[in-house]
Amino acid sequence: MIPKKRKIVSTLALFACFLTALWGIFWLSFIIIDVVRHGITAINPSLFLKDPAPPGEEGGGLRNAFIGHLLLTVFATLIGVPIGVLGGTFLAEYGRKYKISRVISTLADIMVSVPAIIIGAFIYAIIVKPMGHFSGWAGACALGIIMIPTVLRTTENMLSLIPWPLREAAFALGAPYYKVIIQVVYKGAATGILTGIILSIARVTGEAAPLLFTAFNNNYFSLDMSQPIASLTVTIFQYAMGPYEDWHAQAWGAALMITLFILIATISGRILIKRRYRD
Amino acid sequence: MKKQKGKITDIIFLAITAITAFSIIALSLGIFLVLFKESLPAVEKFGFVSFILSKEWDPVREIFGAAPALIGTLITSFFALLFAVPIAVGIAIFITEIAPSFLKGVIGTAIELLAAIPSIIYGMWGLFTLAPIMSENIEPLLQSTFGKLPLLGKLFEGTPLGVDLFTASIILSIMIIPFTASIARDSFNLTPSVLKESAYAIGATKWEVVKDVVLPYSKLGVLGGVGLSLGRALGETMAVAFVLGNLNQIPHSLFDAAATVTVKLANEFTEADKDIYLSSLYYLALLLFILSFTILAMAKLFLLKAERK
Repeated sequence: MIPKKRKIVSTLALFACFLTALWGIFWLSFIIIDVVRHGITAINPSLFLKDPAPPGEEGGGLRNAFIGHLLLTVFATLIGVPIGVLGGTFLAEYGRKYKISRVISTLADIMVSVPAIIIGAFIYAIIVKPMGHFSGWAGACALGIIMIPTVLRTTENMLSLIPWPLREAAFALGAPYYKVIIQVVYKGAATGILTGIILSIARVTGEAAPLLFTAFNNNYFSLDMSQPIASLTVTIFQYAMGPYEDWHAQAWGAALMITLFILIATISGRILIKRRYRD
Repeated sequence: MKKQKGKITDIIFLAITAITAFSIIALSLGIFLVLFKESLPAVEKFGFVSFILSKEWDPVREIFGAAPALIGTLITSFFALLFAVPIAVGIAIFITEIAPSFLKGVIGTAIELLAAIPSIIYGMWGLFTLAPIMSENIEPLLQSTFGKLPLLGKLFEGTPLGVDLFTASIILSIMIIPFTASIARDSFNLTPSVLKESAYAIGATKWEVVKDVVLPYSKLGVLGGVGLSLGRALGETMAVAFVLGNLNQIPHSLFDAAATVTVKLANEFTEADKDIYLSSLYYLALLLFILSFTILAMAKLFLLKAERK
């Protein structure tokens, strides 16, 4: 009798676990379907090709925000990726034996999760205030700083996966360490590092909080990084909280584009890394 | 000659990589120092204890207190954890112990995609889709059931508007599920199969193996995952900014609008026209930074300990 009861309990508990997995998948599909459903009606050429109409007027698009967002992301990548990759190189190669490397590694793990809005406040104090106004550079720096720890940690992990004998073979040929790193280690870990970069770009693409008081927003088309610049995420925030139906529709359109980009980037990053390390 | 050149380049390369690696230390220290410096006027004016206990937030009279924002942050994070942790652990159990191998990857990826969706999307979806559902269906339902209970019923008082602590906590909980789930999954996988097999050998059911072998073995790791999620929940901004209303009050029920530290920062930072106003916001940011940094550091220590085992 007792074994039977235990079996029923076990089945019930495991079924509950199955339900929790469904719960997670339910919300994921709910959100994605909802964003697609609302966003698809807002996608039309003028969303990409026109600048915003004056508040309350119909029409217009988000060309300024798309371009601004692209600029911010590109410059953030230019700041975050080199620092992250080189820093990760130190931790995995030159500094792998020092205790300080473990400390930096742990610190980077913590910094990955530090609230993004704090980074925004930090940049506001050191760049926006001295300059006297919001600027695209400030936004790019904030996003770049957010990228550094993520890229650094993935680079470190990917380099550590390269077996030591490979390096030793290169040393034996008389190559200096930097040549070994660049020509042997980086080559072996390229896919992994690239994946880390893709994932970190995907992450900063969706950030709005650190841009609120760095890049701020701009209702006009601008390529000038030393001035406030529009971004999709801040525009979504402004438009969604605004009173006009037309704004809401455009915000959904922008939300759909961002979500699509991030999902595609994340999934392809995961596929890349799976392929590389399948065995 | 050539060897000499190689050596010099090597030293230069070493120096560059070392500087970039140390930039992490500089950054963390720099953030702390800058936040501290900017909040100094507010620290001097309001002190520590009276700042975190005061409910006043009056830009006109220039009196600022952190209590409502801090309480809002703690309540939303607490309930988010309450909803998320059991779900996340369940998901991890499902992936590691139950799912057939073709489902493992699919479900694992799906759950991790929840973490990839940007918080602004969560916020917008929460405002336009979830909040109406909450105010029309779920919250009245909760009021007519749990709301009748003594004591606990107090949590469900008020007009259900959907823009409140409850909706915010639900959204937060969905967002942090993947963090706990993926770390719990990794720690479950660390359980030696010999331990599990010996439990099966003496006739334990699958659930008993999970409950009495896997969970106790990996509790440090799971705890680390929970800490990481808590750190995330404390600092989450945009998702909460849409559905919390930024109302500076101490909430009495889950259906009250409120504010959190992050929501206050997001909404008021660019409006702060006086120095002491901005400084008070920096003070809030500093408190949030210290709080989340401490919790994340503790979580990380747990995880390191779990790995070493």
